[in-house]
Amino acid sequence: MLGAVDSCTLAGFEVRRVEVQADIGHGDTKFVLVGLAATSVKEARERVRSAIKNSGLEFPGQRLTVNLAPAELRKEGSALDLPIAIAIALARAGKKPPPHTAFLGELALDGAVRHVDGILVAARGLRMLGFERIFVPAADAAEASLVEGLVVTPCASLKGVIDHLLGIETIEPYVSSGAQAIGDSGSWEHDLAEVHGQEEGRRALEIAAAGGHHLLLSGPPGAGKTMLAHCLAGILPPLELDEALEVAQVRSLLGELPGRGALDWTRPFRAPHHGVSMAGLIGGGSGIAQPGEISRSHHGVLFLDELAEFQSPVLQALRQPLETGRITITRSAGSVSYPARFTLVAATNPCPCGWAGDPVRSCRCTPGGIDAYHRRLSGPLMDRIDLKVGVRRVKLETLASEPTGEGSAAVRERVVAARRSQLDRQGCLNAQLKPARLRKLAGLEPASRRTLERWAEQRGLTARGFHRAWRVARTSADLDGAEHIGERHILEALGYRLQDVAA
Amino acid sequence: MSLPEEAGLRTRGRWPPPEGPRAAIVGSRRPSPYGEAVAEQLGAHLARAGVIVISGLALGIDAAAHRGALLGGGVTVAVMGTGVDIVYPAAHSRLAEEILAAGGALVSQFPDGTTPRRHNFPARNWTMAALADVVVVVEAAQGSGALITADAALELHKEVMAVPGSVFSPLSVGTHGLIRDGAALVQNARDVLAALGATQEVLDDPLSAPKSLGIAPLPGRDGIVSHLSDVLALSAAEIARKLQLPVAEVLGRLTALELDGAVRRHHDGYVRALHKDKKPA
Repeated sequence: MLGAVDSCTLAGFEVRRVEVQADIGHGDTKFVLVGLAATSVKEARERVRSAIKNSGLEFPGQRLTVNLAPAELRKEGSALDLPIAIAIALARAGKKPPPHTAFLGELALDGAVRHVDGILVAARGLRMLGFERIFVPAADAAEASLVEGLVVTPCASLKGVIDHLLGIETIEPYVSSGAQAIGDSGSWEHDLAEVHGQEEGRRALEIAAAGGHHLLLSGPPGAGKTMLAHCLAGILPPLELDEALEVAQVRSLLGELPGRGALDWTRPFRAPHHGVSMAGLIGGGSGIAQPGEISRSHHGVLFLDELAEFQSPVLQALRQPLETGRITITRSAGSVSYPARFTLVAATNPCPCGWAGDPVRSCRCTPGGIDAYHRRLSGPLMDRIDLKVGVRRVKLETLASEPTGEGSAAVRERVVAARRSQLDRQGCLNAQLKPARLRKLAGLEPASRRTLERWAEQRGLTARGFHRAWRVARTSADLDGAEHIGERHILEALGYRLQDVAA
Repeated sequence: MSLPEEAGLRTRGRWPPPEGPRAAIVGSRRPSPYGEAVAEQLGAHLARAGVIVISGLALGIDAAAHRGALLGGGVTVAVMGTGVDIVYPAAHSRLAEEILAAGGALVSQFPDGTTPRRHNFPARNWTMAALADVVVVVEAAQGSGALITADAALELHKEVMAVPGSVFSPLSVGTHGLIRDGAALVQNARDVLAALGATQEVLDDPLSAPKSLGIAPLPGRDGIVSHLSDVLALSAAEIARKLQLPVAEVLGRLTALELDGAVRRHHDGYVRALHKDKKPA
């Protein structure tokens, strides 16, 4: 007697279909599980045996072979418990499952169906593979229902699912309460209206938000770098549907999605401590690599405070994601790729003591010490940061008065408009424009071109530096609603640099 | 006039330099805007008075002194800690070319192809002191390489002079220490010229104005310049606040002024440039 149902296994964001076959045949009482199962899957034998017995069903007293096909694909996780149990039950009953249907879920020994991580990722992947119905743990039904065009059957217990399949008692499909927006209430913990002075920092934030440019803030302790960085979240537009789903997928893999049928439209804001490990920032762990902070900040903001204190190899590893918006990590169990298109905001002191360049307090660092400090920041990482801005301490009398700058909501409106014109023109943000597309799409007025070239020659600008200024100028023009890049845009863009930190 | 120390030098450009007094101007690689302005003006005034300005082609005070000498239309010599064929830092390649074009020289005691090595620079500092008649130190923190040059000058019986700075600045520790130990205090180029025993014709130079080292700052075509200081770097935000203008506009105008050489960037701030580059680079 043979039973077979479909399920899947995850390798990062990649969803691979797995067919679970159960065969009950003659021979000694034995439960054999084959098909390249990782340890977590092999344990399914014990859980499935107990779950079936404790659901009031009879476990076959014969030779039982379960095969996970395709056999060359490594299977991870406990989500195959439920499909294995169902395949066994269907084999006993001599029934076939409904077509285009997949099962996912972990079993408790009493037969209850428990939560598994990554349901949203699995559901999206299965939908793309052509599945129309999915049986998931009741706790994860809301998460699965975020995927359109998929009928979600919530499973509370193994017995319930089997009764449903045998036509004894029907489980109603999960009906989403409708995807409401959560998170984006338009009010933020940090609002630009509370920032005193810092005109240059504010402007740089607006450009960073509008064009997706990475930003470095340099200034003495207490100048307000952290406050400015946190304000970035409030001037970014809410996530688009696809973006929100991708963000939710990362959280799904980490088992962090709230059990609600609503997407979070808030852009992620992550601020890992400078002691973060390579695996913590980039992603990693044993077996299949888990997403790291850079993937958790996908479509959002990654804030690295005290940039010079991060381990150098960790910072170097940011190069690939900064360039491509993805990270590929290879571990013993295979290589996975996660999205990581974030806006980097880094903050640093201008020197080890923090006071270099301050008009009032004097710096106690030796020139050699400052050089060494800047060497840690220089090179390839700085090359990929379009905006570099000095942040100065605000005078006490200014702090005592009411701040006079615009609030986040007003800035956000301009950001939204500028982003829309970029997406209409080129389908991506300016920061992601490669030089060839930049030349084609972001035309320079003759005067602008002359200015940029004159600067490049005078200062020995590298090609990267040349394109950085060009991209930033494009965003400045977009914020102006200007079709072409004017000279003033170029001149402004050239101002976002720091003399002493590698330019 | 050829000193024994000059025997083994590798040189590029005109060597030996024209007859005339020689002053070395040395100091911090990370000076304050004040120190940079002083070095540049000293370089300009001394060069204009016919003094050959010697320095080390390093960042900061060295570069400002060379630049000043070029602006003053004089001859300047860079004593290098690398081979004469390797300009260090590389960012100073253009400066090195300009030194050569203006009739100056690059000299080094090290063979061609010598890359920057930490232990070569103190030896270079000795050479600098040996080649100069006086050594003027502008901003040197404790342990600065410029102090090695000063020590060498004393051992070689050359005059050591120092420019005072703010008592709050760590960059004054070295220079004030020298003054305390008997180095002559430099307030303007005349002090240096006097130490060099320069003649009356030099004192007729407009720089004899006793008030300061200063030449009037460039009248910029942009009104922003008049709001800038020549020693204290103001940020674009501070200037924008003063003028009640959008920071984006101020930043752009400052960049334009930088292109014209009327203002200079110092970390995140701007100072008024005291000389316009004659060659728009």
